[in-house]
Amino acid sequence: MAYVCVDRAVKFFPREDGSQMLVLDGVSFDATEHGITCLLGPSGCGKSTLLNAIAGLEKLDQGEIEFRVSSPECRVMDRKNPKENSELGARNPELPVRNPKLGYVFQDPRLLNWKRVEDNLVFAFKGMKIPRESWQGLLEKYLSLVGLLSFRKQYPLYLSGGMRQRVGLARGLAIEPEILLMDEPFSKLDQLTARQLRQDTVDICARLGQTTMLVTHDVEEAAYMGDRIVIFSSRPAHIVEVVDNPLEATKRDLDDLAFIRFKKRLLQTVLKLVDQEGV
Amino acid sequence: MSSLDSITPAEPARQDHAIPVPTGAGSDLLSTQSSFRRARANAKKETLKNLALRVASVIALVFIWWLLSLFFPPSLVPKPWDTFAEVGVIVTSGNFFTEMGATLRRVLVGFGLAMIVSIPLGIFMGTLRSLESFFEPPVILGLTMPGLIWAVLAIMFFGLNETSAYAAVAVTIAPMLAISIWQGTKSIDKDLIDMSNVFHAGAWSKVVDVILPQLISHILAAIRYGLGLAWKVVVVVEMFGFSNGVGYQVVRGFNVFSMKAVLAWTITFLVVMIVIEFGLIGWLERSVTRWRPRVQAWRR
Repeated sequence: MAYVCVDRAVKFFPREDGSQMLVLDGVSFDATEHGITCLLGPSGCGKSTLLNAIAGLEKLDQGEIEFRVSSPECRVMDRKNPKENSELGARNPELPVRNPKLGYVFQDPRLLNWKRVEDNLVFAFKGMKIPRESWQGLLEKYLSLVGLLSFRKQYPLYLSGGMRQRVGLARGLAIEPEILLMDEPFSKLDQLTARQLRQDTVDICARLGQTTMLVTHDVEEAAYMGDRIVIFSSRPAHIVEVVDNPLEATKRDLDDLAFIRFKKRLLQTVLKLVDQEGV
Repeated sequence: MSSLDSITPAEPARQDHAIPVPTGAGSDLLSTQSSFRRARANAKKETLKNLALRVASVIALVFIWWLLSLFFPPSLVPKPWDTFAEVGVIVTSGNFFTEMGATLRRVLVGFGLAMIVSIPLGIFMGTLRSLESFFEPPVILGLTMPGLIWAVLAIMFFGLNETSAYAAVAVTIAPMLAISIWQGTKSIDKDLIDMSNVFHAGAWSKVVDVILPQLISHILAAIRYGLGLAWKVVVVVEMFGFSNGVGYQVVRGFNVFSMKAVLAWTITFLVVMIVIEFGLIGWLERSVTRWRPRVQAWRR
């Protein structure tokens, strides 16, 4: 596993009239390792842009994104230059990692609808050059984690929206990424389905010790899922606050007073922000 | 604030941390499975109904033909059953399969050549802007060119041989195939390309797993139009002086002014076409679109 350090990230978007619009205004933070880091902020503030930059889909105009490992037993991986990989077990505290393996879960499932559920995972395996012998084991492990093992031969369009998103989650996890990136993965689901999926995602990530970064504009989602919550201002985005969740992942309960108090505290920070900006 | 809705006292506490399979999918799964079964029973009834409607439509056409034959002499509109008897004679006489085979071969070779050129051309035009600008004028011009003129040009250039038939068919239908695939490529879902980039899919995998499946319905439509157009051109080419093929037989019927022979050869031709359309292409379509649930909600 690895985690992400974002250092003074700056990003402009070109406007229609040719001028530049500042989207990210010097964003810096460290994400947690083995936990979920939530990027919380108003819609259109640039959180998704930052996630895409981390995924390598976009380039930053200034600043750095570094991937680091902190656990001493961890092997430093560099997929493009395998020679630079350190020996397993070598002590490399805080060593930067280039090109870590990233998994991605999108806002809509983005499945290949003409491929069966299991072949959608195989598509990712092929791309990530995962050896063929391990496909079967990975398929069974991750499809049963999301509860869809019995649907492995089904085509996605015969599944409900929540189940399709589960397939997307399984695909992101099954390549066993060092960092899993999630871009508002529950925002298009109905309230009940979203709630169940949030709970399952927190459980699965906690069990796997999966380092995860999750973009959301939903305060409750951030409070429930995030081990660390990074609050973005509206555009141009800077970091308002980085909050660590006082509650342990498996002990968060939507009805518990401690949880409600924490959620309220986050909500106040965000609301204050909205007031200031006059959005 | 929608996120506040879910905090109600009735919300049960989470109890199942130790259970490996999330429970949320459960209710989802049951309802989906029972709806599969219902859908399958409905599908059988639907197929029977559709078949009956198609047969009824053919019977109605024959009936109208019979009505017309009451008002015209048999040399102009022969009776349907006389014509069907003539079809029987043609099919059993022995030369039917060689004649039809010759025509079919010309259609399929010409069609195959056109596909080989236009699928890559269409994909390149849909993806690369510069190629789109370069190839747009010839493709649009080719679309407006009458098949008859291509037939004349091909015969003048290649002479009266198989090559001219293949060339005329291929050149006539290639622009139409290219346009269909070009437009299909432009409507490809860019989000899926992003997805395949995130998972580092190779170029081959991107074409085969992501791009081509999205073009299937456009390619199938192109095959349907293309085959229809190919038949029309090949008959014209054969009429020009070929010594075999369905077109030649129709011209022979015309020369002795036998309406019955002209119609009978046309009917054999239509039957073969319908077998190809409903049998071969229908089967192809069903087997490549099995992943897509039939749209029924808005069709009555």
